[in-house]
Amino acid sequence: MSKDDFLVVRGLKKFFDVGRPSLFSRRSRYLHAVDGVNFTLRHSEVIALVGESGCGKSTLALLLMGLEDPTEGTITYEGRNITHLNDHERKDVRRKIQMVFQDPYESLNPTQTIEDIITEPLIVHGFANNANREERVKKALEDAGLKPADVYLKRYPHELSGGQRQRVVIAAALVLEPEIILADEPVSMLDVSIRAEIINLLAELRITRQIAVIFITHDLGSVGFFADRVAVMYLGRIVEIGTMLEVLENPQHPYTKALISVIPVPNPRLRHERIILQGETPNPIDIPTGCRFHPRCPVALTACNVSDPPFVAQSKTHQTACLLLVK
Amino acid sequence: MESTTQPPEPQNQWMARFLEFWQTFKKNRNGLIGLGMLAFILLLAIFAPVIAPYDSSSTTSAGLSDIYNPPSAQHWFGTDDAGQDVFSNFIFGARISLTVGFFAAFISIIIGGVFGLVAGFFGGRWENFIMRFTDIFLVIPDLPLMVVIVALTKPSLLNIIFVIGLLGWTTTARVVRSQTLAVKSRKFVLRARAIGAGKGHIVIHHILPLVMPILVVQAVLVVSLAILNESALSFIGLGDPTALSWGQMLNYAFGRGAMSTGAWWALVVPGFGIVWVVLGLTLLGQGLEKVLNPRLETHHLMPGRLSVQKEAGTSASNKEFLLEVQNLSINYVTEGQAPARAVENVSFALKEGELIGLVGESGCGKTTLMLSLLRLLPAAGQIVNGRVFFNGKDLVTLSDEDLNDIRWSGISIVFQGAMNALNPVRTVGDQIAEAITKHLPAFPKEHLQTRVVELLDLVGIAADHKDNYPHQYSGGMRQRAMIAMALACNPQVIIADEPTTALDVMIQAQILDLLDSLRKKLGLAIVFVTHDLGVVAEICDKVLVMYGGVTAEYADVDVIYNDPKHPYTQELLKAFPDLTKPKKKLSSIPGYPPRLDALPAGCRFAPRCPAAIARCHTEQPALHKITDAHNASCHLIEASQ
Repeated sequence: MSKDDFLVVRGLKKFFDVGRPSLFSRRSRYLHAVDGVNFTLRHSEVIALVGESGCGKSTLALLLMGLEDPTEGTITYEGRNITHLNDHERKDVRRKIQMVFQDPYESLNPTQTIEDIITEPLIVHGFANNANREERVKKALEDAGLKPADVYLKRYPHELSGGQRQRVVIAAALVLEPEIILADEPVSMLDVSIRAEIINLLAELRITRQIAVIFITHDLGSVGFFADRVAVMYLGRIVEIGTMLEVLENPQHPYTKALISVIPVPNPRLRHERIILQGETPNPIDIPTGCRFHPRCPVALTACNVSDPPFVAQSKTHQTACLLLVK
Repeated sequence: MESTTQPPEPQNQWMARFLEFWQTFKKNRNGLIGLGMLAFILLLAIFAPVIAPYDSSSTTSAGLSDIYNPPSAQHWFGTDDAGQDVFSNFIFGARISLTVGFFAAFISIIIGGVFGLVAGFFGGRWENFIMRFTDIFLVIPDLPLMVVIVALTKPSLLNIIFVIGLLGWTTTARVVRSQTLAVKSRKFVLRARAIGAGKGHIVIHHILPLVMPILVVQAVLVVSLAILNESALSFIGLGDPTALSWGQMLNYAFGRGAMSTGAWWALVVPGFGIVWVVLGLTLLGQGLEKVLNPRLETHHLMPGRLSVQKEAGTSASNKEFLLEVQNLSINYVTEGQAPARAVENVSFALKEGELIGLVGESGCGKTTLMLSLLRLLPAAGQIVNGRVFFNGKDLVTLSDEDLNDIRWSGISIVFQGAMNALNPVRTVGDQIAEAITKHLPAFPKEHLQTRVVELLDLVGIAADHKDNYPHQYSGGMRQRAMIAMALACNPQVIIADEPTTALDVMIQAQILDLLDSLRKKLGLAIVFVTHDLGVVAEICDKVLVMYGGVTAEYADVDVIYNDPKHPYTQELLKAFPDLTKPKKKLSSIPGYPPRLDALPAGCRFAPRCPAAIARCHTEQPALHKITDAHNASCHLIEASQ
């Protein structure tokens, strides 16, 4: 294991039992939410997991957080296998891996004050009686950009705007001094003008606190300057992974190409041909044969519905799973 | 709200919460009446020895002449079968009835609350067991069971309290369970788990505070049920003979000839007590529910009230435009407060086949403006000035009937949040058909289904999905169905309110493509409301950037992106991620749009504007004409001209 292998995910799978297709059938059916995901996160690295809804990115987040139990595969954190832990063992890891949720209106308890919300993680982890508790709470709030902290402590979530609430969620994660933050669509519910604030905040934290970020989003456009690497997911698998510039400027997988082409460009003079895929991500109960993208792929070959494409390396850091690239 | 208004001590925090609750509660007349009725009886009961004219135990001395005396100066409500003062017994009876009611309800609430919480939170086997147990209790008729149990045990007050309490928890358990289930599925519970909180912590800190309000309302109702049950038991002779509750008074009066002697007062007075308390509790329960359960608060869209004079405004409509909005201003009026100026002096115009983007952050008046075009504002919204010309007709002054003809057949709306706007229990085809028949009653029935298929085809949904329900549709298909519904009556203008906001980028691109092709195919004019500048750049012809209810900038799309004059437009563009420059750091606009009840004195954007000068903070800028097709409201433009 190299020093760089901070969080290692190997062959991770999560199937949900969705019952039998009919009353008299004996065969159970499974929803293949996450179907063999591999990636490695390095210290204070930002990796963006991009994909449409139904690609399994949110389930992947819950697996990494230990909020769902994987069907197969392993998650290793600092050399320790954390795939299946009991509540007691998990608590320790939880402190190191924190999560920021999509909807800041739903993820805060309306009956708690901001102080209650930020103090709660300390209580849960038994730091509540420490002398510096108040200090930690205030520092977390100010690090999350809510300055001065005193103004916010006694307020309730409904008195704050969406952007401020998302900062509170981030502060509640920061107070435990985590090493990884998992951000599941942290800006998709916010106005464009506020999105930049939250993304900049996360980008800052990785510099000031050396926090690694797994940034889950459907919008490739929003990860631009801030991600080190980008992984594109489709139907439970990563289909392309590479550094940010490799993926954005030289996408190889037809799906990545399409995703990039539909990102709105804020300039009418640069209106360009968009590759609009028809239909939506297929139901993850009946995964297509061969390459799982072939039914929507604009450049699919006949071979694509038979063989599952292997990963092909374009460079040391850039890999794509597409038959067209197999030479 | 400033920090100074926030109380520092936790006790004061509870006090503040209570005060806040009281502020809302006191507006509820029924609740107040109920509270008053209850307080009255409680005071009577507490101060019974002081208030009652006769001691409750002065029984034995009664002679025959004292029995069933009608109301008189000595005995306001007459005497009963034992020659006792009915009024005094009524007051002391209140003590017994209320005691039984409150203690029995306490037992019920504790049992029901714990069962409901455990079943709802832990689920699985626990839930199955508890809920089946509850079901069994529910099908057993309470009163006969109580009669049997009380008859078998010694009829003491304590026994009665326990029997009523132990049998009255079922509804509470069910109500608490469903509320627990609802709270459990909310995201903040998941977040607490992610932090590492255990089950006990989550129940105490997250579930209980949100179940409590329901439990309080439930408790009030259970108390009244318990009082009724006690009265019923006492009335049929199973009460504690030593404790003269209202039910017991009824029992004695009924059993000892009050009816035959015409002594109505002996029956009416305790009966009145029961009715009074139960009514009081019910009213209080309703009042509490209104305050504690905000979901009951209704919010209707209603035609905005008009306060524009028909003669006001002289500009005529321009034949060239299909939809022309001139100097539209809308206020929200709340009694006792200055009107909130939600939209002020906004103008734009739209030709056939044109697409205009209405852009701004949340709270910039976009939705108010959009709803006002068809006068669909909430009740407090008033159009105070301006004109909305559609085909030469002024929609602001049109009669309601005439406007109804234009709604949907002339101008229709694609609402935000396609899932909530569709009825979940009817097929999509049905709902589209309904949209047609509702607005075009004369539409021939036999062509209805063909028309529905035609509309679905127009938005790219295959005909065989016609009879599916909304939940069988994906997010993108639902949005398509909403568009089909908007097209149902061949409108000339479609207002699309954030139609792509909740969708993935790929589906967003599909919907934009669809709208673009529809306007080319059908010559539709589209008003596209969004906060996303990127979407606007893709398909719009013109852009109206709104800020704090006023026009910040209005121009052709190319000008907005390549030569923006208003600092707000410029800042918005900087905040938008541009994939052509992936390394560029995004900048955000610090601060938030102004609240409508606290608009700045000068330019509404001044507090956030990086280029603001002194004048900007004191004087509201006018809309300056830069070219014929380019307007912006900023003092700096005037300075540079």
